[in-house]
Amino acid sequence: MKHGRWRFLLAALVPALVLHVVFVLSPYAQAFYLSLTDWTGVAGEAHFVGTDNFARLGGDSLFLDAVRNNAVMLVVVPVVTIAIALFLASMLNGRRPVRGASAYQIVYFFPQMLSLVIIGVLWAFVYSPNNGLLNSGLRAAGLSSLTQSWLGEPSWALIAVMAVVIWSSVGFYVVLFSAAIDGIPRELFEAATLDGAGRWATFRGVTLPLVRESVQVAFVYLGIVALDGFVLVQVMTVGPGGPDGATEVVGLSLYRTAFTYGKFGYATAMGVALFFATLTLAVFALRWGRRNQVEMA
Amino acid sequence: MTALMQRPPVRVSDAAPPVSRPNPLPHLAMLAWAVVTALPLIWAVMSSLKTDEEILNHPWSPPASPQFENWARAWTTASIGRYFFNSLIVVGGALLLTMLLGSLVAYAVARYQFRGNRLVYYTFVAAMFFPVFLALVPLFFVVRQLGLLGTYPGLILVYTAYAVPFTVFFLHSFFRTLPTEVAEAAFLDGCSHGAVFFRVMLPLARPGLVAVGVFNFLGLWNQYLLPLVLNPDPDRYVLAQGLAALSVSQGYDSDWSGLFAGLTIAMLPVLVAYVAFQRHIRAGMTAGAVR
Amino acid sequence: MNPENPHRPYPTRRSLLKTAGAAAAGVPLLAACVTNSGDGDEPADTGGAKSTENPLGVRADAPLEVVVFKGGYGDEYAIKAEAKYTEKYPQAKIDHKGLQKVGEAMQPRFVAGNPPDVVDNTGAGRLDMATLVSAKQVTDLAELLDAPAFDQPGKKVRDTLLPGVVDDGTFGGSPVALNFTYTVWGVWYSKSLFAERGWIYPTTWADMLALCETIKKAGIAPWTYQGKYPEYINDPLLTMAAKAGGLDLVKAVDNLQPDAWKQPGLTQAAEAFAELAGKGYLMSGSEALSHTEAQAAWCQKKAAFIPCGSWLESEQKDVTPAGFDMVLGTVPALPAAKMPVTAVQAASSESYLVPAKAKNVAGGQEYLRILFSLASAKDFAQANSTLPAVAGATEGLTLSSGLGSVRDAVTAAGPDAFNYRFRTWYAPLAKAIDDATGELVNRRISVADWSTRIQKASDALAKDSTVVKYTR
Repeated sequence: MKHGRWRFLLAALVPALVLHVVFVLSPYAQAFYLSLTDWTGVAGEAHFVGTDNFARLGGDSLFLDAVRNNAVMLVVVPVVTIAIALFLASMLNGRRPVRGASAYQIVYFFPQMLSLVIIGVLWAFVYSPNNGLLNSGLRAAGLSSLTQSWLGEPSWALIAVMAVVIWSSVGFYVVLFSAAIDGIPRELFEAATLDGAGRWATFRGVTLPLVRESVQVAFVYLGIVALDGFVLVQVMTVGPGGPDGATEVVGLSLYRTAFTYGKFGYATAMGVALFFATLTLAVFALRWGRRNQVEMA
Repeated sequence: MTALMQRPPVRVSDAAPPVSRPNPLPHLAMLAWAVVTALPLIWAVMSSLKTDEEILNHPWSPPASPQFENWARAWTTASIGRYFFNSLIVVGGALLLTMLLGSLVAYAVARYQFRGNRLVYYTFVAAMFFPVFLALVPLFFVVRQLGLLGTYPGLILVYTAYAVPFTVFFLHSFFRTLPTEVAEAAFLDGCSHGAVFFRVMLPLARPGLVAVGVFNFLGLWNQYLLPLVLNPDPDRYVLAQGLAALSVSQGYDSDWSGLFAGLTIAMLPVLVAYVAFQRHIRAGMTAGAVR
Repeated sequence: MNPENPHRPYPTRRSLLKTAGAAAAGVPLLAACVTNSGDGDEPADTGGAKSTENPLGVRADAPLEVVVFKGGYGDEYAIKAEAKYTEKYPQAKIDHKGLQKVGEAMQPRFVAGNPPDVVDNTGAGRLDMATLVSAKQVTDLAELLDAPAFDQPGKKVRDTLLPGVVDDGTFGGSPVALNFTYTVWGVWYSKSLFAERGWIYPTTWADMLALCETIKKAGIAPWTYQGKYPEYINDPLLTMAAKAGGLDLVKAVDNLQPDAWKQPGLTQAAEAFAELAGKGYLMSGSEALSHTEAQAAWCQKKAAFIPCGSWLESEQKDVTPAGFDMVLGTVPALPAAKMPVTAVQAASSESYLVPAKAKNVAGGQEYLRILFSLASAKDFAQANSTLPAVAGATEGLTLSSGLGSVRDAVTAAGPDAFNYRFRTWYAPLAKAIDDATGELVNRRISVADWSTRIQKASDALAKDSTVVKYTR
């Protein structure tokens, strides 16, 4: 039996571990080393350059644009998405449930099923300046003055991209929050109603504290989404990443630097920077969560 | 995070009975978001049945007569059919392999005590917190060095490698909660370790397998970054890649209706499957998020 | 969907046409191995005696292996040239391969030291020319270029090619590749629309602005451009600058000279395009249109002019209304230009090379001599509606309106065909220029800012020791 146990364990673990080491761990490990070299893809010609690549990042205006845009997304996307999703979820599942709530959930969740590429291609058409859905709709509604070259105006382009991220994410969090709200005992809502609390008071007093854990999870997830943004930007925007860096994101800079310019060492340094940003985000989120838990206890 | 893992699986609420004294505001708000969500999708389907001329000049009107040949053209001429099958092969292969390897590791780590148990577990779990962009460049060279660049096996292996960590993480907690008695009884009956896993534990873990399977399927089906870097051969493009290529470098032939038809072809199976299995999918995906 | 040219790289859709063999993907596939492969083996027997009939000294019975990229142009034209080769050397056995993934298939063979005798190094994932050259894997084609042309008595091969073709295949001072197709950039318009309205394509920028005013009054936008890819509007701007400042201007730009972007030709051209935008002559919304959207708007006569390369006609063939008759016009000139207004920006692609370690180097070169013959090029032009790199190849053919205008433009330009190389040499600089020009024509930056910005990017690149520099 003992023998069979080891054989089974080996058979169960080794294939997955090999794959993991070759395709996941080793690239991650190599990345940290490569980011300290000037490698251009020619074998044996990676020179150690220390932290030159990182110093160079600080003077790369396009990369700084990318950092700025990711930072803006990091603030805006989670806050707006969670606000809309919480609002809709509490409407759907609040103390006075709405007819057709599950049908709404089905519709809201649709975009979550679609590949970001499909969403990007679709929204590029929605935003198209002359015969896109949005501008021609505005014109038909007599609101021609509101029409914009959404992806062509630097002041609008990032907003337009973020709107798509939010559009595609809200449904998922509506369902997530709905489930959390659904787990709140109905008596709590009834008690609040008996106390004469209005909708808003019920939301603040009952719903919000009890879904805090889900909201926290949502922040972490949306934060990760906001640090990416690569697919939508690459498919939708002018340039891509434009106009003039207005929608550049770190992922796009990295991809272009590596696979168009062939500066692999430098591109990897961008990846390392992104890694530390993600790490910081995770640490902050966990700290924040822990502090809140202490406060609540 | 561990506290979150023990959450019960999400229950999706049914429509509650209507209540008196309806307030129109919540309904309006919800209707508005439903329109915002559905409109672009409906518009894409509608546009896929229009002529190029109609798309360019009358974006809001329905087609004068539905042009179903757009779909046929997208499927054949625009190679959507080929991309579709490439996706099927790659995602199908990767999904099978992921579920097999992931459940094996999760089970072994969850139910067996051995030296390095924790190490194995955290080796996998830690990888979930690394951005893929960090690995992108070295991964490209690893795959190239192995001669797997632009091949089905290459993509399948890489997809699997990146899907296994979450699968292990998710199923690990699942296997832990399964009762031990059945397995012990099976051992007493003389079943081998492998047989216990495949005949007893896997069937018991079915709900968890379905949830993580759905989650993995969607993740893999919609994968774009990995194939973009690792799959440069247009003949082997997966669906997401093919659509992006069609829209960005449509090449020498302008064909909007074909592109909309391609989008619709790519959307419809997913949406139909979603409507059919929506409860499981939403439950599975949200349970997956709250890990 | 993409019948003409499926080897277009994605997502930088146009770079291939601009490259003369440099790697678009930036990934020197061979690099890992070529440098390690044995240096000892000399090319095998190059064979026979040289004569007027056989200027390259081909051994008549030596087998020949030809590898052709089978993309949008197919490989029929290459097979026809092979038939001619066997006609001349009936004992030679020809092994033909039409491939889609030339790089992938050829890399191991270069590494192993048994490459074929001719390689059409084209398409996504093709081998990086700079790497091949530095690994001494390609034959210097000077001898071929100086050999008599196959079917044009009294001319050398070199003299039968369109201007710039030899340069496009020259790396590190030696000609190592010959490009078979030829692309010209210019400003396109509908001949029928112009005839109907009595408009005449302008030759000076002042006339262009005057005509734009007329067109605008007629309710049509004078210009549109593929705003999603600002490089499209960059092309006429840089063409105009080159005409104003001559080849010296182009070289200064490509050689990253200090103050290259402050040259009057460039600032005047930028001024001209800023004025075009400032007077409202660009169709509104153009800045966010993809190439297909902008080109479709133009085909629907919503705009009169659009800048593009000579592939436009085939790109638009399914959406061009009957009788539209698109033609390419050369970019109008500024006053006191150093090049005639007929000068064009042009580049060749579809790179043929003869591996240095081929078993039949002489045969490979002889094959190229046949492939680049007038008759072979003519066949190609007829079959593919694309201009080959051989001069006069379209003479006597009935051409479509677009291709005919391209041919006329090349003829009129004569030796005045030029090409900027920075786009293939320094991709990051190209991006900086495209971005700046996008801002310029949307009136978000001034001409002074434009030139300062680009000069800064150019200077930074010149100082960057990690970037391999080229000069011309």
